[in-house]
Amino acid sequence: MSMKFFTATLLNVLVVVVVVVHAFPIIWIVMNSFKEAADINAYPPVFLFKPTLENYKVLFDLADAEATNYGTLKIDFLKPVLSSVIISVGAVLLSLIAGVPAGYALARFDFRGKEDLAFFILGFRFAPVLLVIIPMFQFFQAVGLTDTYFGMIWVYQLITLPMIIWLSRSYVEDIPLEIEEAAAICGAKRPQIMLQVVLPLLRPGLVGASLLVFLLAWHNFALGLILTAKNTPVTVALLKLLNPGISFYPVMSAGLVVSMIVPICLIILGQRHLERGLTFGALK
Amino acid sequence: MNHIKAKSGNAFLLISLLPAVLILGGFVVLFFWGFYQSLTDMRFGRARVDFEGFGNYARLFGKVRFWDSVSATAIYAFTAVACEAFLGLAIAKLFNAKVLLAKWFRPAILLPLVLPPLSVALMWTTMMNPGTGVLNYFLNFIGISNFPWTSSADTAMFAVIFIDIWTFTPFFALIIFAGLRGITPDIIEGARMNGTKAWGTFWRIELPLVLPYILLAALFRLIDSLNQFDIIFGTTQGGPGSATDVLSVSAYFTAFQNLYFGRGAAIMIVNWVMVLTSAMVVAKLWQYARKRVS
Repeated sequence: MSMKFFTATLLNVLVVVVVVVHAFPIIWIVMNSFKEAADINAYPPVFLFKPTLENYKVLFDLADAEATNYGTLKIDFLKPVLSSVIISVGAVLLSLIAGVPAGYALARFDFRGKEDLAFFILGFRFAPVLLVIIPMFQFFQAVGLTDTYFGMIWVYQLITLPMIIWLSRSYVEDIPLEIEEAAAICGAKRPQIMLQVVLPLLRPGLVGASLLVFLLAWHNFALGLILTAKNTPVTVALLKLLNPGISFYPVMSAGLVVSMIVPICLIILGQRHLERGLTFGALK
Repeated sequence: MNHIKAKSGNAFLLISLLPAVLILGGFVVLFFWGFYQSLTDMRFGRARVDFEGFGNYARLFGKVRFWDSVSATAIYAFTAVACEAFLGLAIAKLFNAKVLLAKWFRPAILLPLVLPPLSVALMWTTMMNPGTGVLNYFLNFIGISNFPWTSSADTAMFAVIFIDIWTFTPFFALIIFAGLRGITPDIIEGARMNGTKAWGTFWRIELPLVLPYILLAALFRLIDSLNQFDIIFGTTQGGPGSATDVLSVSAYFTAFQNLYFGRGAAIMIVNWVMVLTSAMVVAKLWQYARKRVS
């Protein structure tokens, strides 16, 4: 009996260790974002401190110029946050419009080369993004798409569209075929069946898939780094905070927290869909 | 679906597939254009482009720095994925055991997966600062002082692999956990009845049953790690020297800093071939492992 108690305690302790290892860096960066510059650069590191909002004020240009260590420097972090939201939401919407019908077709139709097409779409998961960026960069320069939201939403399809197609295919396959057949017997046409029968049943799955795909779009860095100059997404704007000569850890910590809060909130909503999403629907 | 008329079905099929195929087809055209570029001496800002066959590749293959990049890419990806698979299996086993705290804290270990990899990289950069970083503060307690992390060529690779492992071990844990849940208690009971000991059931029953899950996770992670750009660009940018100069980072600097577009594209093609062959091997292993247990 005591042996059992010992094992249970040990396992609980191990769980705590695993959780601390995963949570500590995030807690630490949140703490840093509320520290004054002197506390951040202090050694040994400070665990108890007087919290300040200065870093966030500097990040969003809300501070009086004289009141901070950074003078009149403008960061204007709200703009990259908005750019990321516009690009990611736009990319998800376009992917839904183009991808859900394709996912439905792959789930419900038999046609020649179907599996080849499905595999081709999966192949985008293997695609080296940088290889496509080099020609993309020249194409964007030539037609004037560089630094436009339209262009960015389009290139983000490289990441979001294959995912939406595969996920919606896997969700359609979960819907019993009989429901559609019943509707067909009642005289409904295919587009009607899709819009009025399948789509409502698909909605919860599509919400989850959209959340995940939004995450992927939010994460992206390489596309924004090369194809934008002013309308940079959050990830690229963060890296720019590292460049100035002054120690920027305090303000960067605040920026990091902002870039992390959005996905954390979303995943709390869509936790159930994480497994299926991360594995292209291979796990349900 | 015989009840639904085939004729209208064909038009419907075409309309539903066309937008997606057009968008993705555009990327395929760009991919081939990229391959063509790798066969030229294209430079940014110079109008003249000469076709030179495999000249870029021949020049790359003759350079030590290129082979450093190839091995850095392989070391980074395979070490990270192997460690993640091992740790992920351990964590999945732990969280699958009937432990009170495991039930409460399960969502917490998923956190790293939802953060932007670049944010993760920058987060660790601040913690890995050799002078003031909190990691070296902790290391002091076990007698290690001034560990250089990303600032020394000897430890930089370890540091970036460490970040990859922290970020993506939960991915393995999540998928292996799904596999473990699929093993019903009566399978384990059956083995116990036949006199198999705890470790025996793990090696002979559990592990073969979750192996397809491990390999599936490895497939996804290997592709991403071989292509990894954000974590390395956010921490070391390939340095110090060429210590962490993986192919994708090397291609970025070749193409967008030195403006050798053709050579950059050639580096990415090599990267792509590495991804493709590794993925194909792991996919074959996955199919084999799945067939064996079904």
